[in-house]
Amino acid sequence: MFRLSQLWRTTTVRLTALFMLIFVVFAVGLLGLVFWQTSVQLQRQQTDAIDREAAQLMKLDSDGGFRATIVAVQRLSTLPGPGIYYLADPSGQVIVGNVTDLPPEVVAEPGTYSFNYSRPPPFDEVGAAQRQGTDVVRTERLSSGLILVVGRDVVERRGFTAIVFQWFAMGVGGILLFSLIAGVVTSVRVLRRIDTITSTSNKIMAGDLSERVPVTGRNDEFDALATNLNAMLDRIETLMQGMKEVTDNVAHDLKTPLTRLRNKAESALRENQDEGARREALETTIEESDKLIKTFNALLMIARAEAGTPSGALTDIDLSAVVGDVAELYGPLAEDEGLTLDTDIDEGVRIHGNRELLGQALVNLIENALKYHEPVEGKAGLIKVSLKSAGGRVLITVADNGPGIPEADRGRVVERFVRLEKSRTEAGSGLGLSLVAAVARLHRGELRLEDNAPGVRAVVDLPAAQGATPQN
Amino acid sequence: MKILLIEDDREAATYLIQALDEAGHVTHHASDGETGYAMASSMDYDVLIVDRMLPRRDGLSIIESLRAENNHTPVLILSALGEVDDRVTGLRAGGDDYLVKPYAFTELLARIEVLARRSTPAEAATTFEVGGLQLDRLSRKVERDGEAILLQPREFRLLEYLMKNAGKVVTRTMLLENVWDYHFDPQTNVIDVHMSRLRAKIDKGHANPLLHTIRGAGYMIRD
Repeated sequence: MFRLSQLWRTTTVRLTALFMLIFVVFAVGLLGLVFWQTSVQLQRQQTDAIDREAAQLMKLDSDGGFRATIVAVQRLSTLPGPGIYYLADPSGQVIVGNVTDLPPEVVAEPGTYSFNYSRPPPFDEVGAAQRQGTDVVRTERLSSGLILVVGRDVVERRGFTAIVFQWFAMGVGGILLFSLIAGVVTSVRVLRRIDTITSTSNKIMAGDLSERVPVTGRNDEFDALATNLNAMLDRIETLMQGMKEVTDNVAHDLKTPLTRLRNKAESALRENQDEGARREALETTIEESDKLIKTFNALLMIARAEAGTPSGALTDIDLSAVVGDVAELYGPLAEDEGLTLDTDIDEGVRIHGNRELLGQALVNLIENALKYHEPVEGKAGLIKVSLKSAGGRVLITVADNGPGIPEADRGRVVERFVRLEKSRTEAGSGLGLSLVAAVARLHRGELRLEDNAPGVRAVVDLPAAQGATPQN
Repeated sequence: MKILLIEDDREAATYLIQALDEAGHVTHHASDGETGYAMASSMDYDVLIVDRMLPRRDGLSIIESLRAENNHTPVLILSALGEVDDRVTGLRAGGDDYLVKPYAFTELLARIEVLARRSTPAEAATTFEVGGLQLDRLSRKVERDGEAILLQPREFRLLEYLMKNAGKVVTRTMLLENVWDYHFDPQTNVIDVHMSRLRAKIDKGHANPLLHTIRGAGYMIRD
């Protein structure tokens, strides 16, 4: 399931590797510094010890004479440890000492020397390899004329270095191993969850739009991502569903007027028609095609509104003016039809929206109220248009006291092309309320149809200016 | 009127040229953007009718180039793109009016006749007069034969638009666009009701009506 190359591509592993590298560089630097300081210190201690011993022996020689010196050096030579002692007569012949193979120049001149040696192993380590090492020595000519060499075998110091290096390497190795394991484990977990999302999206791409990314309930970033993806999928599914409905309905509802159009054109061409009938048929043809164009326009408008218009189409607008203007546009018409159009508009309501679409939506609601109003004896027809802003919501309401919509049909009328059977004879594309609903959704709001007892109250419920940011 | 039509659809162009000819206008035709631009910049026309999507050069770029050359011939843009955004882009490019396909010929004719008049400086006039009816744009007063007529603000704007284009047909869509600033088609006779109210105010009690309904087209104010 997880290839190594795939693992390497994950951010976690790359970050782990980077941190590992940085850590190792710092660790090496720090340990190197400590090591260097320690070895400098050790060397100084050694030099100090050599100097001290040499000074003591020189003092002994000048105070107590060469015999005391020989006794002292002989005793020192027998002590175990890294000490090097060597005493020679003025001609360079050895008197006592625990080394025999000093380079001749060390003995020849007073001074401080450091040289490598290779000598047989001690007697108690029979069969061991030749001992390799470095000696640091100081040569002095004593007041009695004897030549004294005092020094240290630094093989021990080298041993210390080796131990430090060993621990250091183990430490770094451990850190590397630990962080590698941690990185891989995290990455595998991350990859597994990403794989779930990938496989879900593969299924969706293969056509199963009902698939959803599982949400674990851990409330982490992956859950947030999954929730967002699922919301996106819901939206896509709705859009796809809508598109399918449109194509079905276009096929059904547009073919009818197209057929009528064709019939009219054919009848105009018929031989035995008089000029008047022919003209009338052609006029009807134009009327029918105008209706078709309107239906297409409405469909396009809905499609655009539902797709979310391009940014810039939503601007800061004075909704009070929009509602006021449209109500004023329709007031006289309502009056002519024997209805009263009342307004109750809050002043200065501004939202982030599309003026044309909101205007069209309101026009559709008012035209619906006008269209479906049935005059009732002794009851004055009333359409009330209101705009209210309260509690972060903006409500555009068009209420009438007409026959209303049966409870069961209220959800259905918002769908495209749905016109209740009763009203099939009325003119109209059946898209009016669908457009209102689409415009409401574009503005992150909704269209509600409520019972006005009697009549219908259509409410376009929109978020107030702050919340209404553009969708794109 | 001398008109240049830049339109690549031959059938639509033939129909338009014939219809414009019947209306008494001389029309030249270019079927692609480059030719259209060459003709528009080398000859003097009263109005240009420019399709937005053309082969070789698009309509908006022609208009932009003409405007950059200080050529202010009125332009009517024809387009299948009818959204508010498209309209705004078209007008911003320098177009004077925007008509969405498909359109009624009467609508197109009314619009180009109104456009052509724009090149004369009547736009800036402060008073209009048609057969004894006077409108003062500054004091916002209207009177007929010396008798004051009280109009609602919207009625004033309606009359103002009609009088600015006196003697020309204005369609219902043009009224909705210019007086209410909306670009949709109302499904009902909503404009007619406003017009009949306006007519009642300015023509009532007068022997010769000034506000005329032009059947199948729109309205006209004239003597």
